[in-house]
Amino acid sequence: MYTQFFGNYLLNKGYVTSEQLIEAIKDQKNTRLRLGVLAIHDGYMNANQVEDVHIAQTHDNKRFGDLAIEKGYLTKEQLDCLLNSQQPDYLLLSQALVDKGYMTNAKFEEAMKEYQSEYGLTEDDFADEQHDKIIQMIQHFYDIKDIKDSSLYAQYITILFNNIIRFIGDDFTPHQATKITVYPTDQCVTQKITGEFSPQTALDMDADSLIAFASRYAGEEFTENDEYVQASIEDFINLHNGLYVVNLSNESSLELTLEPPLPRNSDKLDGVKEYFQLPITFPFGTINFLIEKTD
Amino acid sequence: MTIDSLVILICDDSILARRQLKNHLNSLGCNTIIEAKEGNAAVELYKKEHPDIVFLDIVMPIKDGIQATMEIIDFDKDAYIVMASSVGTQENLREVLSLGAKDFIQKPLKTQQVDEIISKFLKGGL
Repeated sequence: MYTQFFGNYLLNKGYVTSEQLIEAIKDQKNTRLRLGVLAIHDGYMNANQVEDVHIAQTHDNKRFGDLAIEKGYLTKEQLDCLLNSQQPDYLLLSQALVDKGYMTNAKFEEAMKEYQSEYGLTEDDFADEQHDKIIQMIQHFYDIKDIKDSSLYAQYITILFNNIIRFIGDDFTPHQATKITVYPTDQCVTQKITGEFSPQTALDMDADSLIAFASRYAGEEFTENDEYVQASIEDFINLHNGLYVVNLSNESSLELTLEPPLPRNSDKLDGVKEYFQLPITFPFGTINFLIEKTD
Repeated sequence: MTIDSLVILICDDSILARRQLKNHLNSLGCNTIIEAKEGNAAVELYKKEHPDIVFLDIVMPIKDGIQATMEIIDFDKDAYIVMASSVGTQENLREVLSLGAKDFIQKPLKTQQVDEIISKFLKGGL
């Protein structure tokens, strides 16, 4: 499942409000994944069974797993499997929403099944066989099916999320793109791609978010917005754009080049062309990725 | 030649990337590391200090790594240049290797790749 989009899906379908979603995103780090949500996600139990065990727990001081086995909802093997499975971080968002009472287990189950069937994505990662489906989903999500260079944008955004997961973390929620012509920057770096596909790209965020972003990227704890923090955002965009260009070179024989990244703090991005603004919310704040439309 | 006698030039426009590579080289026992922020400075430093190994980024302001490779090789055809770049496209790879660069590391750098470069140099560069 292309999981980072699940939070946004919940928002679009009206399962949660944006205030609830933002609060849950921020609260993920204090959230502990529970067996009920995990069992629903893995398809071992449905929401009614989970509720039934929760009710039983109120008068029977036993653990969730033991009660679920007693009631015949789980086998011992399934329980072991759940306990030993790697617990994916993205489920923490759903758990946080359930814990806060913004969404019931039943709504979580319903939304997750709908989402899986709508996009037909069942894997937790960006495995190759999922690639085409992910491209289609990105085109659908960002409503870019009919624009010029649609597949190049979809591939760009797919690689962007891949790199964000790889270098920053997977605990984010993307929001719908907006088209803008003028963008006032805060802490910002731009990088121009050149060649047959030549959009300007940019990454912008506020100073506190940047310190957290840089700490994750560099794997060290920064406390002030110094030159290393500034270098981190430049490194990230250069690395991401580099990997995109390498990917195109290998897969489409399209040879693009990059200009050096340019710092553009407290400035204004404007030009003749529109930008797609892609906001992405992490627990530490929202980062805005911008990519210029080429037509 | 021993690891502690190596002179290594790192040329990258990112202060973070330079520091990370330098820290790793220090941990291997390389003590003499000189740094440049862009190609022109790298060429000047090369001529002055004759480093044993050069780690060179490609996308940089003022003078990029490809032009710098050309000028360093022009000055010393045996220069031991290792490209370290995020833009390992087929075209870049072909170009820098044909200019005489010895190796190409795709960023993000893995410390193991750096270790291999150093040990390869020490074995062959006696």
